[in-house]
Amino acid sequence: MAEWVCFIVGTLFLLTGLVIFAIELYGAYRYDYVLNRMHMAAFGDTFGIGVSLLGLMIINGFHFSTLKMALIIIFLWCASPVSSHLIARLEAATNENLETHMEVEKK
Amino acid sequence: MMALAEIKHFVYEASLIILAVMLMLCLLRAVLGPRVADRIVAVNMMGTMVMVMIAILALMMGESYLIDVCLIYAMVSFLAVIVITKVYMGVYRERRSREKEERNG
Amino acid sequence: MSRKKTEQEYRKTFAFRFFRWLNAEEDRYLDKVEMHPQEPYVETEEDIRRRQREKNALLNKLYGRKKSKSVRYLELFYKGACIVFCGILIYLLLLTVSYLPPIGVADRPVNNEVSRRYIEEGLDETGAVNIVSGMILDYRAFDTLGESHVLFVATVTVLILLRADHKKKERSSAGEEMAYSLEEAEINDRNYEPKNDAILQMAACILVPIIIIFGIYVILNGHLGPGGGFSGGAIIGAGLILYLNAFGFQKTQRFFTEKTYKWVSFGSLSFYCIAKSYSFYTGANHLENIIPKGTPGAILSSGLILPLNIAVGLVVACTMYAFYVMFRKGGF
Repeated sequence: MAEWVCFIVGTLFLLTGLVIFAIELYGAYRYDYVLNRMHMAAFGDTFGIGVSLLGLMIINGFHFSTLKMALIIIFLWCASPVSSHLIARLEAATNENLETHMEVEKK
Repeated sequence: MMALAEIKHFVYEASLIILAVMLMLCLLRAVLGPRVADRIVAVNMMGTMVMVMIAILALMMGESYLIDVCLIYAMVSFLAVIVITKVYMGVYRERRSREKEERNG
Repeated sequence: MSRKKTEQEYRKTFAFRFFRWLNAEEDRYLDKVEMHPQEPYVETEEDIRRRQREKNALLNKLYGRKKSKSVRYLELFYKGACIVFCGILIYLLLLTVSYLPPIGVADRPVNNEVSRRYIEEGLDETGAVNIVSGMILDYRAFDTLGESHVLFVATVTVLILLRADHKKKERSSAGEEMAYSLEEAEINDRNYEPKNDAILQMAACILVPIIIIFGIYVILNGHLGPGGGFSGGAIIGAGLILYLNAFGFQKTQRFFTEKTYKWVSFGSLSFYCIAKSYSFYTGANHLENIIPKGTPGAILSSGLILPLNIAVGLVVACTMYAFYVMFRKGGF
């Protein structure tokens, strides 16, 4: 009985994660500038994978590989914002017509 | 009521197929994007989806060492973003300085 | 014997004249040949244009650049012959492949008793739960030795091709030379990164230890599960690359210089060599009695596989890092 409960709860989490990935993909097509698309990418990177892997951890039970999945989530939560920061810096440094998309402060 | 194993198998297969379709659409975004940063963002998204796929496969087949592969994939995609941004900024600066020289000299 | 000659006396000896001839230091024509005063040669534009014209005319005549008829036919024939030749080659290769035996037939050399014996007695003879590790580091250890040497040779080749010598001969002393070249290389490299990024450094502070510890975990568990020296070494190399990207070359050279690379690679490869080539000299009697096999499933088991994994992992980590640094800066 406990196994069934674990499985159903885990599947719910996993399906939520898939829905979040679908929203992320839709957002990547709808926005028109790369810095706006990056919002959706970060959304999927942290929230989507967190919820999906949480569901998989619940299905798995208490195992050594469950701890490894927790380590993956922590690693990705530390590394993904840094990736976004670096891509944003790249875009700001190499785009010459930045004023058409946003306000730029000249220092 | 079907056995638990069959339902599990069905759920895993369905999520794998959905994720595979989304992966293809991400690839389309990478091809379409007009700027370099578009493509880097799309490849990052693809990496994240592949990670979830590998974790599902690890549960489906019962081999627990595939989770190590997942962790390494996260690390490699992070490292790839760092190195690509560095290299591209250097290339861009070189091109700009060369154009400036040609315009002045 | 120890009396030194004066300058005048030395110039009259045979040795002086011989060495002067050998090094081509004397000018035989000085004061001996009549020469008219020469004017410097000035190249006018007319000269340059005339030379260009003559060269073009010569090349046109020689290579038939105006494309005579025979040359055109030759080009068409060349393209057709290329396609036909490739087609014949592909057909021959596919024909050879079709002679391979079908998979699963019982009496072919692929399905003989060798693989069965390795699978059944692998655990007993090597003590490793992971049979693949037992194969590459115990039954076939020489192949892995060759592979590690191939990695080393590849790094040496890349070093030869890409190494940048920043020697500036105008500098006064040797100390200044080295400092200038290192700073200059660092300044050139800083073009890729406008400033020290605090966010990346903070993330690297947390993530690099995790990555390196994970790499060590993969190496040490090579005989219990998939992984082993090669993948673990690659992970450690990736951790070092992340550190370098976050902190720059100055800080990395506090613990990883060229000397480190040399000694680590040399030490690991020598250890591997010595640990596996003694059987040449002892008449193929192995050290099985001295190094115990242990219980399968424990970390300290399976004899020599664990130290060999560590050696291979170190070589691979150094190689990965060396490739990245060579391509980025041209020096350690």
